[in-house]
Amino acid sequence: MSKVKLESLAAVNDLGKPWRYEEDGLTVTRTAVWSPPGCHPVGCGLKLYTKDNKLVRVEGDENHPVTQGRLCVRCISLKDYVYNASRITHPMKRAREHRGQADRWERCTWDEAIDIIEKNYREITGKYGRESIVLFTGTGREGGTLNPYGSMMLGSPNFCYTQSGYACYIPRLASTAYTMGVTYPEIDYAGGLPGRYEDPAFQVPEVLMIWGKAPLESNGDGFFGHAVTDLMRRGTRLIVIDPRVNWLASRADIHLRLRPGTDAALGMAMLNVIISEDLYDHDFVKYWCYGFEELTERVKTMPPEKAAEITGIPADKIVEAARMYAAGTPSSLQWGLAIDQKANGMQAGHCIVQLMAITGNIDVPGGQILSDINFGLNEVGFGIEKGVGKELMDKMVGLDKYPAYCNTILNPHADMMLLACETGDPYPIKFGFYAGNNLMSCTSAEPIRWHDALVKTLDFCFTADCFMTPSAQATCEVFLPLSAACEEDGVSFTHYSGTPVTTNFMNQAITTGECLSDIEICFKVGKRLNPHMFEEYNDYHDFIDHLRLSRRLKFEEVKKEVTIQRDVKYYKYETGDLRMDHTPGFNTPTGKVELYSTVFEQFGEDPLPYYEEPQYSPRNTPELLEKYPFVLTTGARTFAFFHSENRQVPYCRELNPDPLVEINPKVAKRLSITDGQWCEVWNQFGSAKYKAKVSEVVDENTIHCQHGWWFPEEEGSEPNLYGTFRSNVNNLVPNFHFGKLGFGAPFKCLLCNIKPIDEVLDTDMLKVWEKFKREDQ
Amino acid sequence: MTKTYGLLIDYEHCTGCQSCVVSCKEEHGYPVGKWGIRVHDDGPWNIEGDKFNFNRIPIPTDLCDLCAKRAAAGREPICVHHCLANVMTYGTVSDLAEKLAGKPKQVLWVPQFKPWAAREKFVSKNEKRHRAAAIEVKAVEHFENTVHRADDRVELVDINKKADGK
Repeated sequence: MSKVKLESLAAVNDLGKPWRYEEDGLTVTRTAVWSPPGCHPVGCGLKLYTKDNKLVRVEGDENHPVTQGRLCVRCISLKDYVYNASRITHPMKRAREHRGQADRWERCTWDEAIDIIEKNYREITGKYGRESIVLFTGTGREGGTLNPYGSMMLGSPNFCYTQSGYACYIPRLASTAYTMGVTYPEIDYAGGLPGRYEDPAFQVPEVLMIWGKAPLESNGDGFFGHAVTDLMRRGTRLIVIDPRVNWLASRADIHLRLRPGTDAALGMAMLNVIISEDLYDHDFVKYWCYGFEELTERVKTMPPEKAAEITGIPADKIVEAARMYAAGTPSSLQWGLAIDQKANGMQAGHCIVQLMAITGNIDVPGGQILSDINFGLNEVGFGIEKGVGKELMDKMVGLDKYPAYCNTILNPHADMMLLACETGDPYPIKFGFYAGNNLMSCTSAEPIRWHDALVKTLDFCFTADCFMTPSAQATCEVFLPLSAACEEDGVSFTHYSGTPVTTNFMNQAITTGECLSDIEICFKVGKRLNPHMFEEYNDYHDFIDHLRLSRRLKFEEVKKEVTIQRDVKYYKYETGDLRMDHTPGFNTPTGKVELYSTVFEQFGEDPLPYYEEPQYSPRNTPELLEKYPFVLTTGARTFAFFHSENRQVPYCRELNPDPLVEINPKVAKRLSITDGQWCEVWNQFGSAKYKAKVSEVVDENTIHCQHGWWFPEEEGSEPNLYGTFRSNVNNLVPNFHFGKLGFGAPFKCLLCNIKPIDEVLDTDMLKVWEKFKREDQ
Repeated sequence: MTKTYGLLIDYEHCTGCQSCVVSCKEEHGYPVGKWGIRVHDDGPWNIEGDKFNFNRIPIPTDLCDLCAKRAAAGREPICVHHCLANVMTYGTVSDLAEKLAGKPKQVLWVPQFKPWAAREKFVSKNEKRHRAAAIEVKAVEHFENTVHRADDRVELVDINKKADGK
């Protein structure tokens, strides 16, 4: 494996050290982590210094080929997470009638906790069937994607990501899968190459177009965000497409500051320019693309001038950006969550795949890297056949109406699940489990609606987590203590395995209380509830070997490697590595990149991209502008937090103590809002309270609100629930506003109004410090 | 003479990730409200057209000791180690000055830990002190404790003469 040293690393360093070693009376364990604390599977390298089962020090591991010792604040403060005064390290129980009462939890044993879960499981499934079980899954974290929680532990078809329209990653993944036959095509940052950026096989991209993504803050899907700055320092030039002037936009050659939600119009116009000006890769189009003529005709309907009117970007800038992207050799394109968060997102995604394809940047060094046929999402489908079976899978909520959505990710439709919880149609939902999810603070639109539905319909609910959450406080009877990344063995893959970058091994350095990892909990609880699903495994390591390593490797042997770079091959459509039949071509019905999508067509969707206005927008609903004059966008990422996490870690919270609304100085002045003043932001769906950050980061038409806020230092009992509904921008986001195939939701393109309020709700950081600091601080 | 060490920061590429800020607090055990380094956020504010000023610049505080303990063991300061954008370099000022000349948008800091501690205790070194003179003073005969105006003590100014400037 590569050891590419950063120049800033001193002569005295730990390069070449084994996975575990002793230093100055401390044991050092090298590991490459996933979560918790919440994160995507980047597998950042950590050195964990321990003594007597205590974590003494955390440092970035310079041996990691991608992170090279670098680390973000969420792992730098790992000790404050692990030894936080509010961490829960033993199982707890509470009676059904004491739901919502923070002081009624009692410590119990693991056996007792599992007894309670089993009793309810047998009673409820006996009466309502296993379809009455719902798993609320979150994003990023290992637990949020641990499909065997559903397929094996609980044997339910309803493993449900609760965000309306699955408006995160899956729309992008689905539009790629339908048209290119692979999962998300990440930009090539030489992560899997031994020589990294200097590897002879690699080519530094001349142009990187970042579209609706904040890679630096989010490390989205396992991409190491600061690979972007690595590339910039090696000469890569940027085009940034974002309504906000984020830091990357300030460093870009071209910043396309579009009106939120208009991405498909911009994509079509860029295609129009590249085709009409003959800037496309003729050979790639001729030999590897399907439907070029149809695409050409379609994008004629979106000349740059028309897109300029829709997006608010001057036509000449659209042309300039299209030319620059087409000229880059290679160019790479990174597209983010913003594409998922609108009903028209599948079409925007299709445009982006088409841009990559017609410019010949697919599976080339420094372009988009594709997963070969052996990769794919690691766990989707694992155990389904035996654990759930076809008959039960057919009962998945929403499958009848939205088969594209439900079959692609084997999830019930989120909005249909909300409806089922509210109405008992098509059947009652009675038993719940949170797998890395805190839907009342973060994931879900209309969180109060979800709250009310769940409190009413669920006869029993439990969670596995490191901290009490508003969602668990409102609805759970059993709390299982979850280990942090330094307390567990495990495996993670960049992009959940869908990209050839790295395979990372988590090495357990300490044990805290009775905490267990998601995989251990799945194994331990599953063995009791559905023993037939786990009889082939002696222990949870056997289970890891099967689930994560397909029994081709053994964890106990490979963990010493800490990180393995995966084989990178380019031009796989020429070699047959993209298809089950090992013949050249793409894994699509036509064997080509489908510019004209036969899969969209099969699902009854338009096979070519088209533009549709957001449901509520200045162009679509001008009559609403008097009441709601601003476009609302939400959820720009911060370094301090992963979604609703880290609010109780004082050093993270200190970086961003209060929920912020970004407002342009001119608008602020007009509305008598000063920097730091508390405001109410509202629309026809609800309202939330935010502290104003007056900044030119947004233009005069746009308001941006942070997401994921709750206040762990506040009263946890109902109705306050740690203040989770007070500064919750999802109060303003409706459900049931997805696209034709069921994907997408308008989290980033709504309307709103804003006004100053008299209240001062500033966080008292000394209170946060006193309440949550470690014993030794 | 001992060499002077500093931190060279390429703020063209500092993304404001604050890894330096939190690393430093962990390393030194600084509580909420105290920092060894902070990131100054300048922007975005519009310069002209669609161009914005947006620089993030880490500034060491008076609690930065350049990780003296780590440096003694031959390692770089922890902020340098964890910097996600890899824009910080530790070294002697003379080495860093050379790098500083190599590209624009860099800043070289030479922090001082608790600068007051480096100052010696105050001792006056000024020996030119006026010695009080031994002159006898007699008491005031008709002491009047008043600040009232008394026209007979005011020297009248010839206004016309002043205005003429003569």
